[in-house]
Amino acid sequence: MLLGTLIYGFVNSCLLALLAMGFNLTFGISGVANFSYGAIYIFSGFAAWIFLNSAGLPYALCVIMAIGLSATLGVLIYHVVIKRVKGLALSEVMATFGLGLAIMELFRYFDFVGFKYTLPNLIEGSVAIGDVYIDYQRIAVILAAIALTGFIYVFTHYTRTGLAFRAIAQDERTALTFGMDSDHIAALSMGFGSALAAAAAVVVLPLGTIAVEGGYDVLLNALAVCIVGGLGSTVGILVASVLIGYAQTITANYLEPHWMMLVSLIAIAIVLCIKPSGIFGHQKELEERI
Amino acid sequence: MSKQALRVFSLLFFLTLLPGFYSVCHSADPIVLGVPTSLGFLEGKEGLACVNLAVDEINAAGGVNVGGTMRPFKVVAIDARGAEPGVPVAEVIKAHKKLILEDGAKFIVFGSFRSEAAIACMDLVSQYKIPMLLGTAMSPEMQKKVTQDYDKYKYTFRVCLNAVYLIKYLGGTMGYLNKKFGFNKVFIMDQDVAWARKTGDLMISMVFEKMGWQVVGRQTYPTGASDFSSGLMKAKAGGAQVILPIFDMPQSGILVKQWNAMKVPALVAGFISPLAGPAAWKTFDEKIEGAINAIFEIGNVPVKKVPKSVDFFEKYEKRYGKPIEAGHSPAPAYEMVYLLKDAIEKARSVDGDAVVTELEKTDRLGAMGRIKFGKDHQVIYGEDPAENAMGCMIQWRQGKRVVVYPESVAEGEIALPEGLKAVK
Repeated sequence: MLLGTLIYGFVNSCLLALLAMGFNLTFGISGVANFSYGAIYIFSGFAAWIFLNSAGLPYALCVIMAIGLSATLGVLIYHVVIKRVKGLALSEVMATFGLGLAIMELFRYFDFVGFKYTLPNLIEGSVAIGDVYIDYQRIAVILAAIALTGFIYVFTHYTRTGLAFRAIAQDERTALTFGMDSDHIAALSMGFGSALAAAAAVVVLPLGTIAVEGGYDVLLNALAVCIVGGLGSTVGILVASVLIGYAQTITANYLEPHWMMLVSLIAIAIVLCIKPSGIFGHQKELEERI
Repeated sequence: MSKQALRVFSLLFFLTLLPGFYSVCHSADPIVLGVPTSLGFLEGKEGLACVNLAVDEINAAGGVNVGGTMRPFKVVAIDARGAEPGVPVAEVIKAHKKLILEDGAKFIVFGSFRSEAAIACMDLVSQYKIPMLLGTAMSPEMQKKVTQDYDKYKYTFRVCLNAVYLIKYLGGTMGYLNKKFGFNKVFIMDQDVAWARKTGDLMISMVFEKMGWQVVGRQTYPTGASDFSSGLMKAKAGGAQVILPIFDMPQSGILVKQWNAMKVPALVAGFISPLAGPAAWKTFDEKIEGAINAIFEIGNVPVKKVPKSVDFFEKYEKRYGKPIEAGHSPAPAYEMVYLLKDAIEKARSVDGDAVVTELEKTDRLGAMGRIKFGKDHQVIYGEDPAENAMGCMIQWRQGKRVVVYPESVAEGEIALPEGLKAVK
């Protein structure tokens, strides 16, 4: 049981990191509020499903198309919705959250309900670690989380575009004086964040079904990880994912699974009371102290 | 003919036609059936489709004869979303109220998805004297209320299976597994909703304790959960020979996929909603071989020994171009419209009290077997389709659903999937 808890806790941690990655990039690093994140995640899943089952395309192509389409959707959302209310944090949140609701409910309206909406595993089969079996799809989740975390860290610290993502969040006016087009960068950030949501979707959704309600859970989990870890901190995301992931698995294994949903909420409450900027959050730390 | 005579003749002519016009207009006055269910769940969606199927058949045949006047049925459905996590019971009650007060529903058909809401709605339908026929909610609390305060709660009936009858089918299956394979250790995995918790409780007190089984553990999951590894690990660690799942959420099919991937050496036998329909084999990547699943009402699966169940199943497929996938609700949803039609025609009225009296006398051979209500307004389920309504157990074998229990309708015996061995 202990080994199982360690293995499945790690898988759960990686899964949370994967879900939070795109949200952190857009909202945490670039400061663009994208509360339609959960909807984009679900959109990607349904897009891949439609390409696969209705168009009959090869799965690898479906995955690439779903990621591309989601990135395009993210850019469109920025230009059509967010740009108009940019700078008004509350309006950004309200507009994107409302749009997310609309996207998800549209899927429900068009009858995308039922258990038939599943994506195939990237790799079939399972492997034993001690006496605990783990399927290859969960191993794919671990690998994808590690790869994407590494990619984001390198991207936001060592590439011009990645540095620009951080710059517009730190001080948009200064970034403008350096010749950065903040609208262009923010739109790109939305595109990247949405592509990451899609990448997470095609890796995580084969473990379950594509359900409209899943979008709300994804947003809640991403928000919890980002708040606990600290918005904008890739290391913070990892630490928070491990903390929440293991806390959830231990709760499920040694208490009851229906307490699992409380773990994220309690973690948010505790962090907001003790250190509102999150464990590794620095952006607002000075303001908090003042 | 003078103008005066022409006017008088025209007036007389129209007066003669008036009763005919009245009759035509009156026959078009529909009887509204309110359907407040959860359309985001398969059972709700297919249940509504079956209500529509029956209504269209009845209307095509002329409608319902209400004291000599033919009136059509009209369906008004609301997605009350009661099955979804986080939707409060008050929202479902509001949906019922809207149907009764704004849409003029004379009957509530199919009713609320969850027992939590259905039981709360019993007071509402009693207040307006609107007969309500339930097609999904399974908690026996409903019958308790009818029995304890008949005058108040007599308006509620249940056509689908309830938790107690489900226990009889599941208990019978456990007895079979014990007798044939010597299994006597079980791990229960259930959903955190009233009917599933109650079924789990009753399985322990009415079946496992009496049969001398060891319950090695129980794990309850919230609606929407999609990782069942903790329960499966506990089942394996506890040496369970049988895993009894009790779930109706779409994500629960993943449990069997995980069971397969984690190679848990126990037979899955219970109810997982997504495992009931023919599409499950493909949906779950052919990893459900050997799983045993309850079909709450026959007709949702065609049973050769009950020809009407086959007729109904085929009729649905012909109308909608795809087979029934839900193991719970479609057949009762279809039958309850016919039960209402018969009761209204016998009562010669749509008055709630009169229809209730006639519904109580129901005796109909349908897709589910013979449909009769008990004194507690629950359709009586048994093991002989000529005498009672029926549910059954199927086992997945090479992509096909084989009816394995009860014996009266079985088309094959239970076989252990690869890797599992009998202990006697």
